[in-house]
Amino acid sequence: MTSADISVPGRVAERASRGLWRDAFTRLMHNGPALVGLALIAIFVLAAALAPVIAPYGPLEGSLANRLKGPSPTHWFGTDLQGRDEFSRILYGAQISLQVGVVAVLMGLAMGGTIGALAGSFGGKVDAVLMRFVDVLLSIPGILLAIGIVAWLGRGLPQIMFAVAATTTPLFARLLRGSLLGLREADFVIAARSLGASRWRILFRHMLPNALTPLIVAATLALATAIIDVAGLGFLGLGPPDPRTAEWGTMLTDSTRFLRQAPYLLLFPGGAIVLTAIGFNLLGDGLRESLDPRLKR
Amino acid sequence: MGKYIIRRLLGAIPVLIGLSVVLFAFVHLLPGDPTRAILGQHATPATQQALREVLGLDKPLWQQYLQYMGQLLQGDLGHSVVNNKPVLQEFMIRFPATIELTLVSLLFAVGVGIPLGRLAARHPQTWTDGVVTVISLLGISVPIFVLGLTLQFFFSVQLGWLPTSSRVDPRLGIEQVTNFMLIDTLIAGRPEAFVDALKHLVLPAIALGSIPLAIITRITRAAVLDVANEDYVRTARAKGLTERRVDDRHIMRNAWLPVTTVIGLQVGGLLAGAVITETIFAWNGVGRWVFSAITNRDYFVIQSSILIFALIFLAVNLVVDIGYAFLNPRIRYS
Amino acid sequence: MALLSVQDLVVRFRTQEGTVHAVNGVSFDLDAGETLGLVGESGCGKSVTNLAIMRLLPRPAGYIDGGKVLFEGNDLVAMEESELRALRGREVAMIFQDPMTSLNPVLTIEEQMVETIRAHRHVSRDQARDRAIELLSRVGIPHPETRLNSYPHQFSGGMRQRVMIAMALALEPKLLIADEPTTALDVTIQAQVLELLRALTTELETSVILITHDLGVVAGMTQRINVMYAGFIVETGSTTEIFEQPHHPYTVGLLHSIPRLDAREAGPLIPIEGSPPDQRQAPVGCPFAPRCAWRIERCWTVNPPLAPVEAISSPPVLSGPRATHRAACHNQPTAEEADAGRPLRPGFMPAPPPAGFSAADVEEAPGVAAYAGEEAP
Repeated sequence: MTSADISVPGRVAERASRGLWRDAFTRLMHNGPALVGLALIAIFVLAAALAPVIAPYGPLEGSLANRLKGPSPTHWFGTDLQGRDEFSRILYGAQISLQVGVVAVLMGLAMGGTIGALAGSFGGKVDAVLMRFVDVLLSIPGILLAIGIVAWLGRGLPQIMFAVAATTTPLFARLLRGSLLGLREADFVIAARSLGASRWRILFRHMLPNALTPLIVAATLALATAIIDVAGLGFLGLGPPDPRTAEWGTMLTDSTRFLRQAPYLLLFPGGAIVLTAIGFNLLGDGLRESLDPRLKR
Repeated sequence: MGKYIIRRLLGAIPVLIGLSVVLFAFVHLLPGDPTRAILGQHATPATQQALREVLGLDKPLWQQYLQYMGQLLQGDLGHSVVNNKPVLQEFMIRFPATIELTLVSLLFAVGVGIPLGRLAARHPQTWTDGVVTVISLLGISVPIFVLGLTLQFFFSVQLGWLPTSSRVDPRLGIEQVTNFMLIDTLIAGRPEAFVDALKHLVLPAIALGSIPLAIITRITRAAVLDVANEDYVRTARAKGLTERRVDDRHIMRNAWLPVTTVIGLQVGGLLAGAVITETIFAWNGVGRWVFSAITNRDYFVIQSSILIFALIFLAVNLVVDIGYAFLNPRIRYS
Repeated sequence: MALLSVQDLVVRFRTQEGTVHAVNGVSFDLDAGETLGLVGESGCGKSVTNLAIMRLLPRPAGYIDGGKVLFEGNDLVAMEESELRALRGREVAMIFQDPMTSLNPVLTIEEQMVETIRAHRHVSRDQARDRAIELLSRVGIPHPETRLNSYPHQFSGGMRQRVMIAMALALEPKLLIADEPTTALDVTIQAQVLELLRALTTELETSVILITHDLGVVAGMTQRINVMYAGFIVETGSTTEIFEQPHHPYTVGLLHSIPRLDAREAGPLIPIEGSPPDQRQAPVGCPFAPRCAWRIERCWTVNPPLAPVEAISSPPVLSGPRATHRAACHNQPTAEEADAGRPLRPGFMPAPPPAGFSAADVEEAPGVAAYAGEEAP
């Protein structure tokens, strides 16, 4: 064996993983529900990106004389309590929901991923301590944790992002840790180690690509929950500090008092949240099926 | 098995300690000036100084923590900033209402979710399965507040079949004995009030239970499908047992295990979701109280409610884990 | 009349990538008290054939697409599910490869044995329990009364398989199908379990179909052997004849790929190169052609029928000690070639595939590499 052969395991794993992605992509393209999810997401991403261009009115534009009008040709989704155009506010609301959701999940991935990676690759005491910390986070269920953090840090978009990120952190930490712990004992890792590869090389070249798959699926599904949680915080009055901001959850708070007169105030923001969540859930499920071909369900 | 229980109990201790530290930090380490934040509009130099003494904010951190733990163990959870009543007392008054709602929601989620999951698993990849999958998808994609408001709109405002809010028609004048409305109406000997209380429970329970329902359905379906493909199910059929027997004794007895674990986890979601549900339906439980505490910056209330909810969640999961170990012979006899 | 007569059984599986042709027209008979071995590599259809006999194919993927299975004259394929259920366990029993996964982990041994007995006989729970104790001691489990309350994971592998045998023979069925009963066990335990199986089935006069890929197992236990490949039976005959005078290249290959104490000379092990065919396509020609060292042109296009190896005057005997030795091959190895493990005709080269033939693993010259450079004797 020449010295060139030592890097063979890595290269073989690379070639194998490139094939895996291509296969998964093809499978995904044939998955009906996943494509529907992708379409829904695309609609809202476009809505968010093009809001300044498509929206017929500004998000804060409105006069009290115009308040609580139902859907009409001039106001497709009607007007809200302050006479602002619902349709425009939904478009701008998409910006907040998607931005905050995505950043929150990315932060959660970073925080949880780091914790999990450290726990998984070092094991032993490091693992025990880190996982206890994760257990503490987990003991405070879902939105209660987010509420607590926002109550503590105060209102504001970065705080909301951090709060929602904290609720997703335990999931990612456990996932990554589980993958890494399992892979540590995997045959191909032992083989690589016996050929002299260093711990870091093993982590990045061999273990992470394999651990990536469940992470991608979990992140997509977490986006659905994140968007719902962001709206939930808004609904409870913990949303963006400026009460005029167009945010789907905050928009729903108004609707509670005017359910009889203006049900469209519930329909459109509520519908936006639901459709976005459905989109990410469908995509996430589709990714799970395409990335793990063994699951024939 | 005894060893497992002890290990599990011991493992819970660091989590409890960690939890207490986190919640301690919630009040004692508030960013900015804690006294100002806690007292809000009531903040005057006098009240701030009084609070500072109560919290011991001038003492070193570890002393504050010990003081906090001491108070906790004596049942002193602080006082509400709003009305200066002891938090623990106020909590216990409202707690039965939340338990009642949570239990009924759980019953709903389990009572509908498990049969639905079994049904889907029995006819995989058919229309039935598709419908169940859609119901599941909607359950996790529709937030509690959207579902709650929608239910209110249709069944209350539009159709008038069910009441919009609160726990029982106040005109019926039911005396609050246990604060479990269903029990109190029976104690008062008023069956029509019992029915009324049930009617008030329907919409909130559906809204709160929707997410657990969706998840329990999914897990049951997956568990049954997994087990149905196991070798021992094939053996059972090879012995000539009827499908009914195979289903009950061989498939379900094994499928129960992962399902019970999930049910335990869902209790957490129910407690958290109670905040939103009780707010929408004007349900006088802890959740609604926490919501107003958020608005009023009543930090002691928030801190203590989170603490108690977390403790309940931990306890439930402990029970579920031990129950699982008991039900699974591989753990029970190892 | 034969106890069991399988006639042209065809089994297919629906998968996401298409239909898999698992079993392609298999026929064989079995007499009362006979032990028949079903030999072949993984995926050749031996397990599927037997699951099909009891109609235990995984649903909805697997289905029987033709043929009959006559058990004591009644066609099991056409039977109602309720009638079939009465037969399962009572007249026809099956034991499986992995005793750990084949026993329900949350029920005690007592519960699993008693339910078997009470499913088919009207006896009280105590009576069934007594019978279970009796059976457990018959299969050599010490202290059966206490062990009844144990769970499967509390037994060792060999013990578990004994329990499975006890359960299977509880109602003294006429036919026992043993699917790789010892594959998951250690070698020393294997011998014990096989011996137990042989003793019990002889005593109860049970017919046995023994499925395995291990020729050693088959040699000691069976009177007749069916060799299967890619869903076909390629050779059938008495155990002695198969071992001493194989007539199908695949059988020859199998016998030469294991070390044998009775080999006439210490020759090299000759592996069969290549891999089994992709059964997602309907077979064209002989399924073994791509790997066969004896193949001629005809083999690529015409699937040879299972025919007697020597010309006979009367119709072939399908079962029993005088069963006719049959093989499905256009160009059968001679006795010397069977001994050597490769063709010995000077200048003979395996026929290349015809133009347009799409076989991924066609071995250009199967077996040549193994004996390149040797002189013909």
